[in-house]
Amino acid sequence: MKKFKFRKDITAVTIVIFIVCIVLVSVTLMQFRTIEQTDLTEIENMRESELRTALSEWKTKYEEVYAQLLDVNQKIEEYNKTIIDNEAAAELVDEELKESNIQVGKTDVYGEGVIVTLSDGDRSVTSEHLLDLVNELRYAGAEAISINENRVLATTDIIDMADYSYIMVNLQRIEGPYVIKAIGNKEQLSSILNLKGSGFIPKSNTSGINASSKMENKVEIPKYSGEFEIKYMQEVEQ
Amino acid sequence: MKKKQIAITLGIMCFLLTIAICVQIRTMSSANSTVSKTLSDNGLRDEVLKMKEKYDTTYKDLENAQKELEKVRQEATQNDSTAEAKEQELKENNMILGNTNVTGEGVEIILQDATSTNNSFNLSDQLIHYGDIQWVVNELKNAGAEAIEVNGQRIVNTSAITCEGNIIKINGERIGSPFIIKAIGSKSLLYGALERAGSILDVIRDYGNTAKVTKKDSITVSKYSGVISYEYLKENK
Repeated sequence: MKKFKFRKDITAVTIVIFIVCIVLVSVTLMQFRTIEQTDLTEIENMRESELRTALSEWKTKYEEVYAQLLDVNQKIEEYNKTIIDNEAAAELVDEELKESNIQVGKTDVYGEGVIVTLSDGDRSVTSEHLLDLVNELRYAGAEAISINENRVLATTDIIDMADYSYIMVNLQRIEGPYVIKAIGNKEQLSSILNLKGSGFIPKSNTSGINASSKMENKVEIPKYSGEFEIKYMQEVEQ
Repeated sequence: MKKKQIAITLGIMCFLLTIAICVQIRTMSSANSTVSKTLSDNGLRDEVLKMKEKYDTTYKDLENAQKELEKVRQEATQNDSTAEAKEQELKENNMILGNTNVTGEGVEIILQDATSTNNSFNLSDQLIHYGDIQWVVNELKNAGAEAIEVNGQRIVNTSAITCEGNIIKINGERIGSPFIIKAIGSKSLLYGALERAGSILDVIRDYGNTAKVTKKDSITVSKYSGVISYEYLKENK
């Protein structure tokens, strides 16, 4: 009787241990599998995708520089030709100047882009909102920007008057509703502005300002209305 | 007695198994993964480096070609007064666009994160944020700055100052504290605008950060590095 009971106990213990061992072994195997399949490839993919982004970024940058290099070399050749043939170079300079004037902001411009409208809601629109918006549009690749028909350039300031009664852009007084136009890839501009959570449009709307954006095939932006005056800076001669 | 022996043996076995599992996990995540990762990434990494080198040499070629272009342009236009005037305007455009290094009187501003942490302030307030830089740059523009750079990044028409996580970027390039902002313009006007009571610099200092403005008789602002290509912009006649 006693012997039998002892045996029964051992069998029970053995069975329990056996089951525990099986479970442990299968867990080990599962772990092995999971690590190999998901975790590892995830780390590898992440690193790889980072590298891929870097590669494509450098490639785009290289292509842009290379295209410009070809362009500049061609211009050098053309100028050299006028020197040799003793022809007038006026036309060539004219062409270059025209292109450069577009970039500087001396001409009216157009192109595809977005139009953003801002107006006071529970809170008023301040210069900070406009600065943020302009910054985000530039980040999204805007090539030209205007606020209420005032061209925004590298030297453009956007400030509040002392009591927040109105905003000044390029020292011109502007009033709401504010219409901000930007020329650039319209899909890219629009998607960055409307990015959930961090985009300018949803962020403004939750903070109590009425903001909306619209994609357009033709956005027209006027030239800078002020003077381009250089008083203090000089080119560094190399 | 026998029961106890079995229990001890099994206990040891379980212990060994657990250790084995732990060792496996460690090995998997450290040694094994780094080996396979570096193996597969080395090729890519090489490609990235090669592309960057290609960019650097081409960029240097471009810089030289631009210098030469300026020379031949000047030579080609020297006998023609209208062309000469246009050549001059082109030169000025390039200064405005940030295509050349420029020099003149102005100010230098140094902004630096607080070095000693003061517990009475929020830790985040003791750092210089991209918004602070944006605001200082805006003040400089308001005071008539003609050219501005932040840590070597020239502020041009398309420059954005952004923050990704805790990384500040200008023109897509990473910059960090201390931030050295250089501006060309009337040094007294620029200085006065920044050092007036209640200015942004006062706010930055109130939280224990460093903000220093120095008037300079001569300061050099570097050109935009890289090229900007315009794809969508057309002249409206």
